[in-house]
Amino acid sequence: MTDNTQNGRQNIYKPAIMKIVAKRDEAPGVKTLRLEFQNPADHEQFKQRYRTGMFGLYGIYGEGESTFCVASPETRNEYIECTFRQSGRVTAALASAEIGDLVTYRGPYGNRFPIEDFYGKNLLFIAGGIALPPTRSVIWSCLDQRDKFGKITIVYGARTVADLVYKHELEEWQNRSDIELVLTVDPGGESPDWQHRIGFVPSILEQAAPSAENCIAVLCGPPIMIKFTLISLGKLGFNEENVYTTLENRMKCGVGKCGRCNVGSVYICKEGPVFTAAEVSRMPAGDL
Amino acid sequence: MTKILLRDKLDDCLTRWHAAGFDVVGPVRKNNISQYATVKKAGELDLGIILPDRTLKDLFFPQTEPMFSYRISKQKIDTEEYLPPGRQRIIFGARACDASAMAIDDPLFGWDYQDTYWFKRRNETVIVTIACTAADEFCMCTSLKLAPDSTQGSDILLRPLGDNRGWQVEELTDRGREAFSRIEALLEESPAQTAALADVPIKFDLDLCREWLQNPENFESHFWKEISMRCIGCGTCTFLCPTCHCFDFQDEGDTYTGIRRKNWDSCSFALFTMHTSGRNPRSTQSARWRQRIMHKFNYFPGKFNLNSCSGCGRCTRECPVDMGIIETLQEITKLSQ
Amino acid sequence: MSIQEQYRKKAAELLSSGEVKLVIGYGSGSTPDRRRALFARTADDAALFHVDAACDANLSGYLVNEGLLSDKKKIGIFLKPEGIRSVNILAAESQLDPDQIVILGFTEENGTVSGLQGTQASDFTSLMTALKENRTTSEKEQALVDKIEAMTPQERFAFWQAEFEKCIKCYACRQVCPMCYCKRCIVDNNQPQWVHTSSHTLGNFEWNLVRAFHLSGRCVECGGCDRACPVNIPLRLINRRMANEVLDAFDHFSGMNQNQEPVLASFKKDDPETFIL
Repeated sequence: MTDNTQNGRQNIYKPAIMKIVAKRDEAPGVKTLRLEFQNPADHEQFKQRYRTGMFGLYGIYGEGESTFCVASPETRNEYIECTFRQSGRVTAALASAEIGDLVTYRGPYGNRFPIEDFYGKNLLFIAGGIALPPTRSVIWSCLDQRDKFGKITIVYGARTVADLVYKHELEEWQNRSDIELVLTVDPGGESPDWQHRIGFVPSILEQAAPSAENCIAVLCGPPIMIKFTLISLGKLGFNEENVYTTLENRMKCGVGKCGRCNVGSVYICKEGPVFTAAEVSRMPAGDL
Repeated sequence: MTKILLRDKLDDCLTRWHAAGFDVVGPVRKNNISQYATVKKAGELDLGIILPDRTLKDLFFPQTEPMFSYRISKQKIDTEEYLPPGRQRIIFGARACDASAMAIDDPLFGWDYQDTYWFKRRNETVIVTIACTAADEFCMCTSLKLAPDSTQGSDILLRPLGDNRGWQVEELTDRGREAFSRIEALLEESPAQTAALADVPIKFDLDLCREWLQNPENFESHFWKEISMRCIGCGTCTFLCPTCHCFDFQDEGDTYTGIRRKNWDSCSFALFTMHTSGRNPRSTQSARWRQRIMHKFNYFPGKFNLNSCSGCGRCTRECPVDMGIIETLQEITKLSQ
Repeated sequence: MSIQEQYRKKAAELLSSGEVKLVIGYGSGSTPDRRRALFARTADDAALFHVDAACDANLSGYLVNEGLLSDKKKIGIFLKPEGIRSVNILAAESQLDPDQIVILGFTEENGTVSGLQGTQASDFTSLMTALKENRTTSEKEQALVDKIEAMTPQERFAFWQAEFEKCIKCYACRQVCPMCYCKRCIVDNNQPQWVHTSSHTLGNFEWNLVRAFHLSGRCVECGGCDRACPVNIPLRLINRRMANEVLDAFDHFSGMNQNQEPVLASFKKDDPETFIL
């Protein structure tokens, strides 16, 4: 097999080594790591292959690997950023790793957002909680070529103010005149000085009522939020073909062999993680 | 006139193959279980059985396999790959179902990305299959449109002679021809008749089943709950299935040194798909059994144009609660009629 | 009327009267010599039950399937004495309410089955006492036990090493066992990873020994794990040995009644040891 299909590696299960060059606390239990390749050849492969939407398997030897999106955009491929909530064995190890420590990385795997298909269109980004990272890589991919798109609206909600991630970037987006940012927290999740909306994402979206005309929506969030937000998008006149989302499932190999990530006949790791809402609605709901 | 290999020449064959650098592997009964294992003498081979308890996949995809070791220091991580040993082997006396199963899994392990561990072993192995002259009530190769003398996955097919003195040799691949050229002098030309193949009745209608499985309405059918009610969720059917290929990675060691392994895993296990959050897309045993059947007879054929089942019947033969593919597909056939 | 006819009738009555919502018993299997669990919801289904020497599975494990008993309705179940003992332990360990279980008991000897008097687990106490006092082992099994007992520790270790080497970690032994009802088994825990999940020598030893310990004083020797094991590890021998130890040391015969304290999880003030594991 040629390099082209092996992701440049002889042994597809053998990860590249990356160094943690920056680490940021985003929210309680949520951290972002910025990683740099140690081997220039690995970095070159990554630059050639990585497109926004793809995911990777991040790991610590001795603990294992864990799957997250690449939270940094293809327009900034000198490094990889990943954002994760500490919840299991691998994320616990990654969370306790320090700047300068080495971690493992396999990827990038999966499909991508067809960003050039979005050229000339308005964009609506909707994210809930820890699902901003996959959305964020699309947002930056578009912001880094801002003139190619129309109006950009971002609706982002979390359970509480503390649970909002990328707070520094939210501030930056807030201050830009070429983005409309709508922030919300669930009722009861507001702080005394909270200046933004209070309410669940679907209803806040309906209040904000962005036009569906010539608009692409990118929607990422927990399953329950996706379910209700799709209904709201429908009300706003969005066609399922113009709504993109990402699916996440437990993965081990990332390359369509280990057998656990499929929803119906669709392998999330190879045919996803990026799908249109129309594609998702064709999947068997009982497997999602 | 065809080439035949006589049973009493088998020891000489093994000697020649050994001399040529081949390991010889075949069905062996040891410790109250029969499985494919390395043999030194022909007498160790247990060729009289219907099929071994364990499958041929053990030889290509072992139940636990060290992939690489790691050693971590502050500035670097050293790893060492454990690739398969690189010895040529001849599997003598594989069953057609087992050999077919290897061919079924080839596209899966080579789907865009090549699994080094699988293909290194595949490339180093010659599979000599002996066609079956006997079957039991669980054998179902014919239901899968295969046969006791299917050639898929085999490099040589041996057809037992009617007088049981040996086998008629059918060379299928260059790799097989090369291995048999080492024993050319031991083969004979003979008009001997081959024995009748095992009679394996067709148990279900595969096409009807596929059609039923493809119908989205049947995904939520109550059938899945009924048929899997007694399933206890163990991994017997998957681990003793020659085509089941699911795996897990496990690190064993500490922060400084250890090994990353590839271990069998099973869609029957609740933990298989469970997210760290506790959410589980396949949260019931019926959803897991449905996945297994759908994967084998709908998704896999959809992707690779092959059923992920070669009809060995071990799933039913060995199931602790007497479930299995036969019953499920028979019931689906009934539902479709 | 044969015991099979009697029990078919009884199961049908239980279902048609509405006393139970379900009867778990044995139906035909995929071959004439196999029996498989049959879940009867109607009196008609009850006509499919078999009661004969081929009915070897201990069906009590199905009782603790998630949600089955949560509606407080009763369930009928065909049980051999070992199964009744399992119900007692599950009751003692607060996994089920024995009043919800209607037992159709039977016993098998030399290929002949006979019915047992009683329908509640508590109806069988005299049977349990008799079982405790008259523990039997088949000749074939005793021969193997004697062979192993006669081995030196090194030989015995080699024997079990060869047996455990066959283990493929399919967990059929666990899944079939009525006592293995934990929602998360110790081997499924990875923080920390108490037991290696890999099926290598160490992982297989860890798994099989941990399971033997977890079943000490709880195993009823129904033989389910042994029959389930697809690689033919003689698991009954381990569990029987542990049962013997517990019987000798604590006079504890598991599953005697539903109030029996778990022997390795209870502590007496006059215990000669100063700690418990």
